[in-house]
Amino acid sequence: MLEELLIFTRGGLILWSLAGAAAALKGSPIDALVRSFLLEGRSASAGFTHGPHALRWTYDNALGLVFVAVYRRVLHLLYVDDLLVAVRAEFARIYNPRRVSYDEFGERFRQLHLEVEARASRPSSVSAKPGPAASSPGAPQPHGGGGGGGEGEKTADESGKDDSDGEPSRQEKHSPAADGSVNGLEENSHAGHGGLVVKREEEGGPNNGAFNLENIKKKDKKPRPGRDKKPVPKDKKPSEQKLDYSNPADHGGGAGEQTAVNQGKSMMDKDEAVRSTAKDGWFSSMFRSIAGSNAELKESDLQPALKSLKDRLMTKNVAEEIAEKLCESVAASLLGKKLGSFTRISSSVQTAMEEALVRILTPRRSIDVLRDIHAAKDRGAPYVIVFVGVNGVGKSTNLAKVAYWLLQHDVSVTLAACDTFRSGAVEQLRTHARRLQIPIFEKGYERDPAVVAKGAIQEATRNKSDVVLVDTAGRMQDNEPLMRALSKLINLNNPDLVLFVGEALVGNDAVDQLTKFSQKLTDLSTAPTARSIDGILLTKFDTIDDKVGAALSMVYVSGAPVMFVGCGQSYTDLKKLNVKSIVNTLLE
Amino acid sequence: ILILQTSCLKSSKSNTIVLSGLSGSGKTILFYQLRDGSSHQGTVTSMDPNNDTFVLHSELERKGKVKPVHVVDVPGHARLKPKLDEFLPRAAGVVFVVDAQDFLSSMQAAAEYLYDILTKATVVKKRIPVLIFCNKTDKVTAHSKEFIKKQLEKEVNKLRESRNAISSADITDEVELGVPGEAFNFSQCQNKVTVAEGAGLTGNVSAVEQFIREHVR
Repeated sequence: MLEELLIFTRGGLILWSLAGAAAALKGSPIDALVRSFLLEGRSASAGFTHGPHALRWTYDNALGLVFVAVYRRVLHLLYVDDLLVAVRAEFARIYNPRRVSYDEFGERFRQLHLEVEARASRPSSVSAKPGPAASSPGAPQPHGGGGGGGEGEKTADESGKDDSDGEPSRQEKHSPAADGSVNGLEENSHAGHGGLVVKREEEGGPNNGAFNLENIKKKDKKPRPGRDKKPVPKDKKPSEQKLDYSNPADHGGGAGEQTAVNQGKSMMDKDEAVRSTAKDGWFSSMFRSIAGSNAELKESDLQPALKSLKDRLMTKNVAEEIAEKLCESVAASLLGKKLGSFTRISSSVQTAMEEALVRILTPRRSIDVLRDIHAAKDRGAPYVIVFVGVNGVGKSTNLAKVAYWLLQHDVSVTLAACDTFRSGAVEQLRTHARRLQIPIFEKGYERDPAVVAKGAIQEATRNKSDVVLVDTAGRMQDNEPLMRALSKLINLNNPDLVLFVGEALVGNDAVDQLTKFSQKLTDLSTAPTARSIDGILLTKFDTIDDKVGAALSMVYVSGAPVMFVGCGQSYTDLKKLNVKSIVNTLLE
Repeated sequence: ILILQTSCLKSSKSNTIVLSGLSGSGKTILFYQLRDGSSHQGTVTSMDPNNDTFVLHSELERKGKVKPVHVVDVPGHARLKPKLDEFLPRAAGVVFVVDAQDFLSSMQAAAEYLYDILTKATVVKKRIPVLIFCNKTDKVTAHSKEFIKKQLEKEVNKLRESRNAISSADITDEVELGVPGEAFNFSQCQNKVTVAEGAGLTGNVSAVEQFIREHVR
């Protein structure tokens, strides 16, 4: 029933495999697992599905090994977690860093497998698994002293969101990673493995603990009521002229035009120097290798350090559930590790967290927009960038900044005014186009944005323009008809880059915005490979001082890299995200 | 397991060779071929660098004094790129592993990675030699090393023009590559760049071993 059980080192060498080298799993789920989960800091949740397979895993942090079990998703094997834990304990006994083949483990594994299977098929009344208890949604769990109580509370919370109908459904809850229910391994480990290490830290929760979370000033975006589509008055033309107090000299195109705006070099092209964090000195690293290793890290040791780290992250405006998940995955990677005698727990937690943050914020793919534009130019098609986001985050302003930056690199730009809803949106873009001296394609108001975009792209191809920047109307993430309209625009025009514009002031809503946006786009996508958010543009960065957590929340939730950062309201205020400086600021 | 090396900085000639390249190009297999002469049971995507000092497996039988080599296999996954900066300054040579079979789809990413390595200040200043190793040539559909060399040169040339120093880790570290106005080719680099081919799985790694023996003395 179990298709494969793999034991490999963190460096990538397979030490033992159940199926043997001959059976290559279709679709290589292991590589997908490493790439999408383990390296993204989502290692706290314990389940992953890839095609027809479901995977579960565990670490041995002291030895640097990973144990992964693969089985068919339709079979709900309840004993997998037990098996993994047992295998881990057994393998740790025979492991030797110098050895690379462990064939005799096959026999031992077979025994373990039978044992665990037998245990699982026995009626669970004996072991009083919290599993069946967890299945009753919302049933209050007794707060035990150990992590089990905390886990129960968490499951009870989660079951409010997803329906949990018993254990089997847990494997199916692994929808978009952000929503994945956080199941620790100890729920199963309670059954007859009392002595084993409890992985998850105690869910301190907002109830106890000196640091009262309600006191944190969360920069929450107030949830705005859904927007009703008000009919635009038909007689807007006369009122436009009445309200137009702009300088007559600015009016209209044609001869006598002012020259294009030139405000100097865009900040995208300026480099930032970063001070590096104090690395371990040569002295202490030498001592660490000489001195013998002491006690391994336990749950209770990591607890206080992680809690203070989580609070620190939250004061920097990182969304609460993101901070939680990050701390858990850092805990998962440190449990059982042996510390040198000269390192404090808090400093190793700090280093692990720093590494995880750098890893998450480092882009997964190239974000060299200029190169992609040149590639598109060779193909003869314009490079289309669509700006999406909720209301009022700065799409139109930052669109103009991106246009300014592109112009400085000798790229010809066309603007497409697909915000046909908001009053003044088209005029706003028209003004930018005039100041930057670039063509704009607009069809006024009350038009279907998807059709306008299509027309704009055709026009740009005709005029041999390199880039088309498409401005869309802001929309709330749970407004179904508007999201549908947006995905229609994207499906119809197949842009090269879908840029989600988010403001740095947003708090916990960032998670919701991004998940819903990318989910809706993926769900309603008609292309064979679903289009989703390709990149993030972070705006209003100059208003937040050091509360830079929104960047982390957004990147964590969507996996998309931050391609631009808007840090002011003039054309030059656009820069790149400096990963090191963000990490330093977050952990200060 | 990361064996913490306390590198003795007194010796001026380092014996470190860095294996780099995109994820899936065959670095870890190459590492184990060099060390043990076999690829064991296969590999998965690496999460941590493989770091070891050993005598090349093929040299074990050689009589006389054979100097051990410190080989580091840095994971190719984009998110682990900063790890390369830890090992590069101390390198005596860099092997850039390229998947010759799946080359065309990963050409751009490979060129970008190579560009990053070639423009690092430490690589240029210390003239660290680079070997572009075309791996997986045992497969029928693998491209030849001449083709790969030309394609990489073309891609790097494009990068030179459109480069915007997006990699945010160490932006001030970059150096101008090649001769402005002329098409780029590897002979314009201040450090020596050579191309070779072989196959990690079958053990055909003599080109790499030669490179190592040449630069680790």
